[in-house]
Amino acid sequence: MRNPALWLDKTFALQEHTITHYAWVIVGIAAVVQMVGAAIRMVFGVLVEPLAETFNWSLGSIGIAYALMSIITAVSSPPAGYLSNRFGAKRTMTAGTVLFFIGMMWTAQVQQIWELYAAYGIIFGIAQATLLVPVVPAVASWFRRHLGLGTGLMLGSWSLGPAIAVQVMAVLFENIGWSESFMVTGIVGTAILLSILLFFKDTPEQAGRVAYGARSSDKPLITSGNIFVEFQSEFQGFVYKTNAFWNLINIHFLGCVGHAVILVGIIPLAMSKGLGPVNAAGVLTTISIVSIVTRFIAPVLSERYGSKIIMFFSFFGQGIGVFLLFTASSTWEFYLFAVVWAIPYGGEGTVFPVINRQYYGHSPMGANYGWQLLGAGLGMALGGLLPGLIFDITGGYAWAIALSAVFSLAGAAAILFLDPTNRQLIPDWPEVESDHVTTGTSSISNGGD
Amino acid sequence: MRKGSSEQSTTHVSPKLEGFEIKGRPLTGLGLLIASVVGTFAVLIYFGAWAVSDRMEKRVAATESSVAQIEAKWWEDSLLTVCPLH
Repeated sequence: MRNPALWLDKTFALQEHTITHYAWVIVGIAAVVQMVGAAIRMVFGVLVEPLAETFNWSLGSIGIAYALMSIITAVSSPPAGYLSNRFGAKRTMTAGTVLFFIGMMWTAQVQQIWELYAAYGIIFGIAQATLLVPVVPAVASWFRRHLGLGTGLMLGSWSLGPAIAVQVMAVLFENIGWSESFMVTGIVGTAILLSILLFFKDTPEQAGRVAYGARSSDKPLITSGNIFVEFQSEFQGFVYKTNAFWNLINIHFLGCVGHAVILVGIIPLAMSKGLGPVNAAGVLTTISIVSIVTRFIAPVLSERYGSKIIMFFSFFGQGIGVFLLFTASSTWEFYLFAVVWAIPYGGEGTVFPVINRQYYGHSPMGANYGWQLLGAGLGMALGGLLPGLIFDITGGYAWAIALSAVFSLAGAAAILFLDPTNRQLIPDWPEVESDHVTTGTSSISNGGD
Repeated sequence: MRKGSSEQSTTHVSPKLEGFEIKGRPLTGLGLLIASVVGTFAVLIYFGAWAVSDRMEKRVAATESSVAQIEAKWWEDSLLTVCPLH
């Protein structure tokens, strides 16, 4: 190689990248929204014991709230995607923030078990969907190219939110009590979300800017007005007729069952093999940390080499990797599993925004992504149920591990039926004809940023 | 969503949807989705029925009676009826 710098520049199109684009502000805001949305799910773990102690509720009856939240989040995802397409991501996420606040305040005040079901199960379930579903399609609209880089950075932060939230809540519980902790974090979390959403713009066109990666030959996309709504309906009609639309819901479901079994069952499994609580928890922490790397890398590679092949190896690796658990009995074997399995697991779910772009071009992604998260949510709920159920019957986790492998490998097989990603399945979303279009409040220019 | 954007509608490039059609129905995608749903129900029924027969065996052992004498709940009966392997 005569000039490595030139080679790097050409290979990774470095000349197209800049850190001063507003798209990175959007990615930063989206990462915070993702952290809060994902944290809703994980703080439940620290809530169980105080509720059981305070109200003398059984663990099973408290657990129903978590199952209810998972199912409500799943079934709310397609409507959240529709709302995001129809009314914009910012409005939908603002509504989600209000629901988050109500859910936090109500959960802090619960006195009856039905209130927990309503506050945590239903309100938080809808809040989680309205925060998590719109944010990814909104980020996608800010990237004309290099979407993998944008979503990779955003989705890489997924693991951080729960990790931070659980630690913060645990410290607060210890010092000010569980009820006050929920009120404080509810107020602070809502204030943070509302503040950062002030800087959020649904599309670059709305902000009077150009999307990241846009070239001088690119024209702005149609993002508003009656014609936008009409096109959405027309395009979405074609999307529903593609095999990929239905298969991607199926694939997300299968992959999520596959890893939810492991994420829920790994600590009790490790403890049943003689690991102490700290070491067992460390296995899960290792999975979270290692997976951050592939959460970032997988979408970037997908954009470059095609999503189908990256998805296939992620699902296949996730399925094959769990076989290490059949023989794992010592601490190092569990940690080896955590590292080996986390690599494909991290790449399993983060490729979906990129494959949506490769199949459906620049058309609004909210509805498609919402349906895919329906599959994911139901998969997570089922996968979370299986380890406990199987342990109760068999007294071990071997069947659960086998089922995790079966679901992941079934997902890998389903990926083989997907269309090639090197051509779009429907025509691309229409562009605005002229370079300068008056939109009432600002002018969209297709020049530089 | 922006207000006052009607001028976009007068200047847009018409989409390339004219004449575009997708022939046939998405049978492969829907078929795979339905296969997964059926497979998942099969797994749930199998393990559910296993759990029920396990519970009933424990009740039999505890009361020292026969399986026929044990009063099963409606959902236990349903799972055992639906599962061909239990």
